[in-house]
Amino acid sequence: MPEQKRTVAIQVPVLTRVEGEGALDLRIDDGEISELRLRIFEPPRFFEKFLEGRHYSEIPDMVARICGICPVAYQVTAAQALEALYNVELSPWARAMRRVFYCGEWIQSHSLHIHLLAAPDFFGCSSAIELAKLAPEEVRRGLRLQALGNALMDLFGARSVHPVGVRIGGFHGAPSEARIREMREKLAAALPDAEALIRWTAAIPVPQDDQAFVSVATRHAHDYAIEGGGIAASDGLAIGVEAFDDHFAERHAPHSTALYAAYHGQPYLVGPLARLNLNHDRLPPRIRALLAETGLALPSRNVFHSLVARAVEILLALSEALRLLEGYRVPDSPWVPVTPRAGVAQGCTEAPRGLLWHRYEMDADGCVVNARIVPPTSQNQARIEEDLRLSLMSFGLDHPDDALRLHCEKVIRNYDPCISCATHFLTLNVER
Amino acid sequence: MSRVRVLGIGSPSGDDQAGWLAVEALLGLGVDASQLDRPGANLVSLLAGVDHVILIDAMQGGGAPGQVRRFERHDWRGYDQGLSSHGFGVLDALALAEALGGLPPRLDLYGIEIASAHPGAAPGRAVRTAAVRLAAGIAARLGEAV
Repeated sequence: MPEQKRTVAIQVPVLTRVEGEGALDLRIDDGEISELRLRIFEPPRFFEKFLEGRHYSEIPDMVARICGICPVAYQVTAAQALEALYNVELSPWARAMRRVFYCGEWIQSHSLHIHLLAAPDFFGCSSAIELAKLAPEEVRRGLRLQALGNALMDLFGARSVHPVGVRIGGFHGAPSEARIREMREKLAAALPDAEALIRWTAAIPVPQDDQAFVSVATRHAHDYAIEGGGIAASDGLAIGVEAFDDHFAERHAPHSTALYAAYHGQPYLVGPLARLNLNHDRLPPRIRALLAETGLALPSRNVFHSLVARAVEILLALSEALRLLEGYRVPDSPWVPVTPRAGVAQGCTEAPRGLLWHRYEMDADGCVVNARIVPPTSQNQARIEEDLRLSLMSFGLDHPDDALRLHCEKVIRNYDPCISCATHFLTLNVER
Repeated sequence: MSRVRVLGIGSPSGDDQAGWLAVEALLGLGVDASQLDRPGANLVSLLAGVDHVILIDAMQGGGAPGQVRRFERHDWRGYDQGLSSHGFGVLDALALAEALGGLPPRLDLYGIEIASAHPGAAPGRAVRTAAVRLAAGIAARLGEAV
C-alpha cells in the first residue's frame, strides 16, 4: 500500500515517569523500523571509581546514595558480598531483618511505580494527578502502601531516603519491640489493600504482546527470591553468584552512558516478571491461589504483566515481613564483629527492578581495590530495545506519531527503568 | 484554635536546608513543627487530618537569596507536568492531594529564595537570616490566632 511507504521520525527528547534522564530515537522507513535507540544521556556517575580506596565500613552508606528509590538493594548486596568474603555468619535475627528491610523497599518502590508511573498509561492519563481524578480510591490505596513501605525502611534504616541502618555484620541498631508491634498491626491491616491491588492490576487491559525472552532472577531453595539464592535463567541455567561473569557480559554502546548487559550474547529480562516466572512456585499458597484466581498463566511471555507481578510482590513482601516479625525480640547485639581480609567479594540480590550484582576486590586492610556494580536497568536495556521493536510491530507502525510515541513510552515505563542507577535515560526521536 | 501542622522541607545540601532552618527557629519559639527530607508523594498523607498546613521550602525563582515569597493556590493550581519519582516535588504532591480532595482547608506555602545547594555545604547567611525571620513571622501570626 502506498501510504505504508512513508518515512517517520519520532523523537521523545525527555521521557517522563521514569527515574533519570533518557531519550528514544525511532525511525521508520518504508514501513520498516530502520533505527530504534534507547539513548541514556544522563552523565555517568562513576560510583565504582568513588569506592576505590574506601574502607569496607563506609560501603553500605556510600552505595545507598546510588538510588533514592532502591538504596536498600545496594546496601544489602554490598553487605552480602563483603560478609561472604569475611566469613561472617549473620545472626538469625540480622538475617531475617535484612529480608524485612528489603521487603519495605519492594513495597515502597512497587507501589510508587504502579500508581505514579505506570498505571496512568493504561487509563489514558498523562500523570498520576489525572489518574487520581479518575480512580481516587485506587491512588489513595497506592499512596498508603507506599507510605507503609517507607515506614518499614525507616524502621531499620533510620530514614527511608538513603537509609543508614546497615553495617557489615548486621545492623547498627535494633528497633524496639513496641515499634515492631505497631508495624505488625499496620502490615496486617494492609493485607486487604494488597489483595485488592492484585485484582485491580490484573483487570487493567494491557497490550497482548507475546514475546520469546529469557527471564533471569535469583532463586532460593525455599524462599521467594529477594536477598538470597543463586542465579537462575528460564533456559535452565542455575549458577552461583560467583559465576555471573562466565555467562553475562557488559558492553558499551555509543548512544548510552549505561552499559548494555547480555546473557550468552543475547538480551534478557530481569525484574518482577522474570522473578515471578522463575519463582512463582515459591509464593505462599494463599498468594498462589489469589494469582490463579486472576487467570494469569505463568511463565508469562507478555512483559506488560510486570504490572500485576509488582502487585503480587507487594503482597508477598507484606506477608514475609509479617511472618519474620512474629515473635520479634531485641537481640543482645544487632551485629557481629568483622575481620577483613584480602580477596574478591561478590553478592547478588533482587532490587525492585531486578537482579543486582556487586563485585569488590578488597585489600588486607579492608579497603576497596576496585568495584563493579551491575544494576538491573543496564541488564534490561537491550531487552527494552528488543521489546520496543517487537511490540511496535505487533501494535502496527501505521498509527499516528502520538500513538506510536505513547506506545513506546508504555513499553519503556513498564520496565520501571532507573536511569540514575544505570548511568552510572528518555528524550523519543522518531524519523519516518 | 484550628489544628495546625508546620512542615519544613529540605535536604542536607547548602541553602536547601532553608525549610529545616525555619523549623529549628520555630521549635525554639515553642511552635511545634517538623523537618521533612524530600518527602515526595508521602507529603500527601501529611496534609490530611488538620485544618491548616504551613509548608516552607527552598525555591530558586531568580530573586536575591533570602527573599521570601508566599504562594497562593492559583500559583500552582493546574500544575501537571510529567512526573518522575526522582523529581516528585512539593507542587506535584500538592496537585496530587488536590486531585484526591486531600488539601487542608487552609494551606500557606512559603518559599525561601536560595543561592546554591551543594551536598554537605553549610547554608548561606542570607538564607539563615530569612529562615529565622520567616519563623518569627509565622510564630507571631499563630500566636495571634490563639
